[in-house]
Amino acid sequence: MITLAYYPGCTLYTKGKNLDIAARKSAELLGVELKELESWNCCGAIYSPVTDDIASQVAPIRNLIEAQKISRKLVTLCAACYNVLKRANRNLFLPENYQYRKRLLNYLEESYDGSTETIHYLEMLRDIVGFENLKTHVQKHLTSLRVAAYYGCLMVRPSEELMFDNPDNPTVMEEMFLALGASPVNYAFKTECCGGYIVVNQPEVAKRCAQTILENIANAGAECIATTCPLCQYSLDNQQKVMSKEYKLPVFYFTQLLALSIGISPELLNFDNHYIDPKPLLKEKGLLL
Amino acid sequence: MLPNLRSNEELLKEIENLSGQRIIDCYQCGECTAGCPVAFAMEPVPNQAIRLLQLGYIDEVLKSSGIWLCASCNVCGERCPRGVDYGKIADALRTINLRNNNYPLVLEKIDKEFINQAPQQAFIAAFRKLTT
Ligand code: SF4
Ligand code: SF4
Repeated sequence: MITLAYYPGCTLYTKGKNLDIAARKSAELLGVELKELESWNCCGAIYSPVTDDIASQVAPIRNLIEAQKISRKLVTLCAACYNVLKRANRNLFLPENYQYRKRLLNYLEESYDGSTETIHYLEMLRDIVGFENLKTHVQKHLTSLRVAAYYGCLMVRPSEELMFDNPDNPTVMEEMFLALGASPVNYAFKTECCGGYIVVNQPEVAKRCAQTILENIANAGAECIATTCPLCQYSLDNQQKVMSKEYKLPVFYFTQLLALSIGISPELLNFDNHYIDPKPLLKEKGLLL
Repeated sequence: MLPNLRSNEELLKEIENLSGQRIIDCYQCGECTAGCPVAFAMEPVPNQAIRLLQLGYIDEVLKSSGIWLCASCNVCGERCPRGVDYGKIADALRTINLRNNNYPLVLEKIDKEFINQAPQQAFIAAFRKLTT
């Protein structure tokens, strides 16, 4: 068992709990203890690139300091947390930001040298658990499940700062699905923006962003979608309610499908808590009784 | 109130400082706008906004609705062949507005049912980008 620091972020205890619960249970089965930071605060949900905005960087850096008490790597699940924490650390410790760094670190109770490495859960699966090893844990092969792995913006861009995967054609989630026996589909808009936070004041614009993606996914022949972010999940799932066309595409968190496949009880995975009911599809595939 | 007592040059400098971008570097290829997921609703669209800034129409861009529509998806900056990041410029333009107490989000107008369903993350991000 290896122990890694874990940061759930503001949404994962409530509206994003389907992402969180499945991830914790799966990690445990795969030999990783995810130890939640003892004291954490919201990362701010969106990175501020404004060059004199020091206040917005205090929260993410505090979390990175807290993580040091557990491990050098900090695991995140929400794409937005990943983006904010990783960029905050990287940009603060650029050599040219010396003055800025000094000012910011002055606000904090503890000293920090930038050594916490933020990783995404998918990177943990690839680099620490290993996809070959993951295969040996599969109880229910997701055979013939045609899933669209949807990344959105925050996992992959800016690529120079995140260095997560190819910014236009990331494949790590597809690799995970292949290990679970599923059939990920190829489609064009896997890193197209779902509309993100503009759904709050421009719902019509956000709806069109989500619809463009759903249309693309439906045309590619996918039966369901997997996301890494509560806001992407909301945009693609709940907004199907207000669309002129019926897509009937269930939108999972990638961790729900992972957990189901490695034998975690479906009762723990909240398949009732979706707008588009995923149970008929899972039953059809023999993944659910 | 927008800081219209300041000269255009001062404002342009401030936009460049806050965004860390050089406005003059843009050669108007349109790549940013082509990839922008919300360009269909934006006025002006990213490359037009930059052109207006280059020509000195700073106030027009500062007061435009387009700067508030940017979803911060980072496509424009990722793909610009000249190393210009319009998303950061939009953030600088918003920041100047926010610091003058100008912002578009009216909290009372947010739908109650939406509040119950949408993830917290959406509100935190929107409040940061669209309010003070
Ligand atoms: S992609 Fe870059 S160079 Fe081309 S119009 Fe946009 S900002 Fe200008
Ligand atoms: S960051 Fe903003 S302006 Fe740039 S492509 Fe995305 S939504 Fe459009």
